[in-house]
Amino acid sequence: MANAASAHAHDGHHVKRYGGLMDWLTTVDHKKIGILYLLAGAFFFIVGGIEAMLIRLQLMAPGLDVVSAQHYNEIITMHGTTMIFLAAMPILFGFINAILPLQIGARDVAFPFVNALGFWLFLFGGILLNISWFVGEVPDAGWTAYVPLSGEQFSVHRGVDFFLMGLQIAGFGSLIGAINFLVTIINMRAPGMSFMRMPLFTWTAFIASALILFAFPAFTIGLVLLTFDRLFSGNIFDPNMGGNIVLWQHIFWIFGHPEVYILILPAFGIISEVIPTFAKKRLFGYSTMVFAIILIGFLGFMVWVHHMFTTGLGPVANALFAVATMLIAVPTGIKVFNWLFTMWGGQIRFNTANLFAIGFVPTFVMGGVTGVMLAVPPADFQFHDSYFVVAHFHYVIVGGIVLGLFAGLFYWFPKMFGRSLDETLGKWIFWLFLIGFHLTFFIQHFLGMLGMPRRVYTYLDESQNPGWGWMNALSTSGAFLMSIATILLLVNIVITMKKPKTAPADPWDGLGRTLEWTIASPAPEYNFAQTPIVRGIDAWWKEKMDGKTAMTPAEPLGPIHMPSPSILPIIMSFGLFVAAVGFMYSDVLNGYYVAIGGLAITLFCMFLRSVYDDHGFHLDPTEEEGVQS
Amino acid sequence: MSSVTHSDPHAHHGHGVGEELPHEPERATLEGRNKILGFWLFLGGECVLFGTLFAVYLTLRNSTLGGPSGVELFDLVLVAWATFLLLTSSLTSVFAIQAMHMKNVKQIMFWLGITVLLGAGFLGLEIYEFYHYVHEGHSFSSSAFGTSFYSLVGFHGAHVAFGILWISLLIVQLWKKGLTVVTAPKIYVSALYWHFIDVVWVFIFTLVYLMGRMG
Amino acid sequence: MAGTEHTVEHASTSELTVRRKQRHEGPRNHLLTFGLSIMLTALSFVAVAYALTEDSHVEPWFVSFFIVGLAIFQAVIQLGFWMHMKDKGHGYAIVGIAFGFFVALTCLAAGLLWSWW
Repeated sequence: MANAASAHAHDGHHVKRYGGLMDWLTTVDHKKIGILYLLAGAFFFIVGGIEAMLIRLQLMAPGLDVVSAQHYNEIITMHGTTMIFLAAMPILFGFINAILPLQIGARDVAFPFVNALGFWLFLFGGILLNISWFVGEVPDAGWTAYVPLSGEQFSVHRGVDFFLMGLQIAGFGSLIGAINFLVTIINMRAPGMSFMRMPLFTWTAFIASALILFAFPAFTIGLVLLTFDRLFSGNIFDPNMGGNIVLWQHIFWIFGHPEVYILILPAFGIISEVIPTFAKKRLFGYSTMVFAIILIGFLGFMVWVHHMFTTGLGPVANALFAVATMLIAVPTGIKVFNWLFTMWGGQIRFNTANLFAIGFVPTFVMGGVTGVMLAVPPADFQFHDSYFVVAHFHYVIVGGIVLGLFAGLFYWFPKMFGRSLDETLGKWIFWLFLIGFHLTFFIQHFLGMLGMPRRVYTYLDESQNPGWGWMNALSTSGAFLMSIATILLLVNIVITMKKPKTAPADPWDGLGRTLEWTIASPAPEYNFAQTPIVRGIDAWWKEKMDGKTAMTPAEPLGPIHMPSPSILPIIMSFGLFVAAVGFMYSDVLNGYYVAIGGLAITLFCMFLRSVYDDHGFHLDPTEEEGVQS
Repeated sequence: MSSVTHSDPHAHHGHGVGEELPHEPERATLEGRNKILGFWLFLGGECVLFGTLFAVYLTLRNSTLGGPSGVELFDLVLVAWATFLLLTSSLTSVFAIQAMHMKNVKQIMFWLGITVLLGAGFLGLEIYEFYHYVHEGHSFSSSAFGTSFYSLVGFHGAHVAFGILWISLLIVQLWKKGLTVVTAPKIYVSALYWHFIDVVWVFIFTLVYLMGRMG
Repeated sequence: MAGTEHTVEHASTSELTVRRKQRHEGPRNHLLTFGLSIMLTALSFVAVAYALTEDSHVEPWFVSFFIVGLAIFQAVIQLGFWMHMKDKGHGYAIVGIAFGFFVALTCLAAGLLWSWW
């Protein structure tokens, strides 16, 4: 990793600077942690994609036996869990980590050590969850793990325990990551960057982090209580012992609904960056966009029962939540119109990043309108648990979040890696993925209306289920196109990484509007040699329009204090991993020694961290680097 | 000590004596302010955590399966004493922070020590209480009421135990390193934590014990 | 302004004087909070003890509302005085706790209203 500035020790302390693998294992640098999140997220995206292909292969024709019914249940459970918790969230965290501090003119996040810890917790949680494949006891109760199916009576093997423990550990990572981003945004913006001058991606990261902070603790309790029921003879969800079943659904969805807004808001943020940049026109209605994000975040906590319309809560509850759900469509619709108004009259450049962003808009809208259809309880009684729902959420998650992530990848790749992804391949990837996506999921609306239930491993032939055969076959064909697109993306990344790092600070021909485009590509270790002064929305564009060629610095050039790398985060995460395995296998291990040992490792690392102060080290940016290279 | 900022490499790191310290040492650095804000946000999340546990408890409080309920079990005198101990410990943690603003390290350690002792007293009473309940047939696995009661009150107790451990270790750190702009935010944040678990206890004794005793 | 690692912001003399005055008023407020908390707690216990005596005709639901109200009031003054939420610079703290409380309320609604029928 090239670094022109020289590091020197502080107060006579030995400077810890690692190279190679140790550098990555001990890093507390947000840019590297962002790349780690992206790599791990991409890996799990492929795992989830393979699971998706298996699903589509099994359903390609009636009566197939590509996988058994039991395996099918395992695959759909792991597909959903992996894609949401181990692919989408980490990749979003990856972008937020890599880009957010650059956008607000900061040198790192508020708590770099905790940032690293968040990553390793996520990774160990994901590893724990997937170890289930190797021991043959895979979670199979759906990603929603409803009781009583997921309870100790009907899910006897350890699959659900892997689910509970893996997500518990990964969930801690998300929670501390969210607190980190919130404090960073509140306390560490460059001078002149008021809240209403922040880039939209920063705003969405801010609100999504707030959602994580308030939604994940509910999920934590849900996971803990089900763990108590399964491992420690608890009775929360067992009706025979006075427990309540619908309580699980409430707790799960009080978390689960905000979770999907956690996923989509940063994707909205990416779109709000890409579209103005490549329309060479500022975002239409900045304040309204901000207000819409806040409103979506807030309303997101008031709609969870729309996942439970058919549980029998009654017409009053159903009506309340139906109205609240429909309300969310309003700020979302405002955002869509504002993106369109941004493009109108702009000089649009149709590069890959912008193609993905533009493709996002109609696709997400399609997902959104089926959402409003589902929000009507009498209609939902027909749609619930059918492929109509599957179509809806894949439209918003894949058509929404994944297209947004691809847009972000092409947009910010040069900033992170110093070279731009190949545009020709990029366009192939875009079209293959978009067409494949619509082929797969559009037809599923009709499958749902024809009555095909979700989470079924097979169906009957033409005489009993007319139309299901060819529709499912069509759906599967689209999946092949998406797979090819993904492979081409991997190829694109590999060939691009072999090229030299020649990207300029602003690789988009001067179209960059926000602060990340004022520093070198890839960003130097300390981000900004001199913290810039911000004078308006689209801080960098404002300076360029006023004829400046660089940001005005807020401070003189001087040595920059950096936090030290540390091996503790990975050890702490490993400790929790060991503890989880210890709890799950306490019967085999003759007691809780392993569990307690794991917890002790983590606690001891916390103790070490508190007692040994980190004095950090200093970097000296050279005079030539200045503010902008 | 781990924020990335511009600074003079030869500046003092505030190791040591009280008179060099600014008047609110916990807020004097960006690091300290970040820690305090981060902790408040964490407490917001803890509100949701305990809120969910309360919701579960209140939903299941009558599912005793014929076993003993709050009306038979809860001894308000014991709970009153436990509340008094915890409330007083919250007051003594306030005195510790005031001592911190007066830069008096010995006083801080004294008041934190009292806080820890009172907290330990609270825990002792609670352990005794649980032991008694188990003998009366009210255990973690006896019913949904049982699991939800011990989950809620037990989680709170676990928070108290963690707080006792944390504050004890901080007393040792204070003794070894003195009051600095690095140790001050830690003390402040631990006091916030301690107050918070007292606030949670106010709701526990109200919603669990008092309402439970009434039936 | 780039945050500085250990450069500490020093207040002016007049600011310090004002702050010193506030600090000396401090202990009184805290002791007051303690006293109030004790009283509110005692009041809750007494209310319940009274409701449990045989010849009181007070409705249990009323007592419940009353003691929950007392609990909320006690929580507010502890947050305000002991945790300094009434002091300036606590905007985010207030938003954080308030929103946490709001989400906790939705959980309570779920459990109390929509779990049994």
